[in-house]
Amino acid sequence: MRMFSKHVSSLLAAYIDGQLRAREARRVTLHLEHCEHCRRERELVESGMSAVEHLSLVHAPDAIWTAIEAALPSRPLWQTQRNPAWRFVFATLVFILLAGAGFWVFEQRIHRPGMAWELRPIQGTPVVNAKPVHGAVRVGAGEWIETNSSASVTVKLGEIGVVDIGPNTRLTLVTARPSENRLALVRGQIHAKISAPPKLFFVDTASGTAVDLGCEYSLHTDEEGSGQLDVTQGWVAFQWKGQESLVPAGASCLTLPKAGPGVPYFDDASGTFKRGVYNFAAAKFEGPWLEVILGDARVRDTLTLWHLLPRVGVRDRERIYSRMAALAPVPAGISRAKVLRLDPETLKRWKDELAWVW
Amino acid sequence: MRFGMFVLLSAALAMAQDFAFQVASPVASQDFHFKAAAFVFRTTGCSSAEAPKISATAEGIISNQRQSVPLKVVEGSKPGVYAVFQSWPRDGQWLVDLTGTCGPATAGALIPVERNGFNRNSAKFFSHRPTNNEIEGSLTELAQKGNK
Repeated sequence: MRMFSKHVSSLLAAYIDGQLRAREARRVTLHLEHCEHCRRERELVESGMSAVEHLSLVHAPDAIWTAIEAALPSRPLWQTQRNPAWRFVFATLVFILLAGAGFWVFEQRIHRPGMAWELRPIQGTPVVNAKPVHGAVRVGAGEWIETNSSASVTVKLGEIGVVDIGPNTRLTLVTARPSENRLALVRGQIHAKISAPPKLFFVDTASGTAVDLGCEYSLHTDEEGSGQLDVTQGWVAFQWKGQESLVPAGASCLTLPKAGPGVPYFDDASGTFKRGVYNFAAAKFEGPWLEVILGDARVRDTLTLWHLLPRVGVRDRERIYSRMAALAPVPAGISRAKVLRLDPETLKRWKDELAWVW
Repeated sequence: MRFGMFVLLSAALAMAQDFAFQVASPVASQDFHFKAAAFVFRTTGCSSAEAPKISATAEGIISNQRQSVPLKVVEGSKPGVYAVFQSWPRDGQWLVDLTGTCGPATAGALIPVERNGFNRNSAKFFSHRPTNNEIEGSLTELAQKGNK
């Protein structure tokens, strides 16, 4: 398998430090899941880094210089003997540079805000990196959190929000930086309440990435990527391979294995409508279920219809446009031709207007 | 000539929107600061150079006692979009009385806010400041609905 032929040893230190780009970090996460060799290496790197962190800086005793001088050969290999002061200056400079670099690394790892999350068990005994956790601990990038059927935890993401992790969940913290907080949810359920500005908190799943746009939501998924996103406040964008579903408060969206996010629908839509959406998606957005959706759509169900526009063929798109226009007046400046051509700017403007009836 | 002017005038009148409120879920504002608002709203049909003047009051009944709570209307990052945050008690039946003026025009609205959010379908819109009778009538309807 290609995954095993490309070990990630060289990236591990940066991965643990949260310095990798999101895409690269995701690749490392996936690789680690399947590669015992790299997992062992990660543990070694982690323990090495941890040991470095616990070392305290001490000043060298003055006597050491006398000892070094004494140990030096009386006749140097080259003519440095002519200027022993330079040697001393050079050694001092190297020492200062090394000490400075060490201090900088220490500061970056320990004191940078948002570098670690605070995990606290709610019930049962969760596991962090295969070790049971009984009280509050700090978790950082690269660490795995797992709960069994009777365990749940709450994780405080610095100042930006809180994530509750439900039972039977396995996830890893991919990035914990002030500018990006990202976790990879392998399976299970989380509930996130984020108070930070949009696009600071991301959750990767097998069927796409949930991007926080200032929100509160629940997300559950299995290892294949089947799952559901329920939004209670704000917006969540669910993205996968250039496809995006924008899910507002009061709406949900199914996630499908190898097909990315489904089409969002409002939770108060009729059962017939929801069934239609589910079956139409399962039929790869073709066939008679569109008739059911169009027939049962209310004004606020234009949320679903708007998302269907880029997913269907031109003929069905025309039908959807007509139904949307009948449900909510098309605002000035939104041209039918541009909608049918899927002009991104036109679709965005229409969505922003439709949001006033969602 | 006269016919042409008549057509133009008629078209202009038909296109002119009355000054009114449009109320929506907080998601419509596209402003994350408003995500916890009770609702957001904007005005339509105000062509005055000055921004419309808006006031809001929460009117409610708790255990048969009438209460009024003056509200602060918050303007968002997009001009003309405002939010109302819940600063009235959770108990009882409540609605928000919105009144706006734009030049000589006035718009009013009574927006019921229930436990799970504002009720779009029961909202009432007026071209005047809501009267006491209209407020009391709406509260009575809410109370009756709440008792069912």
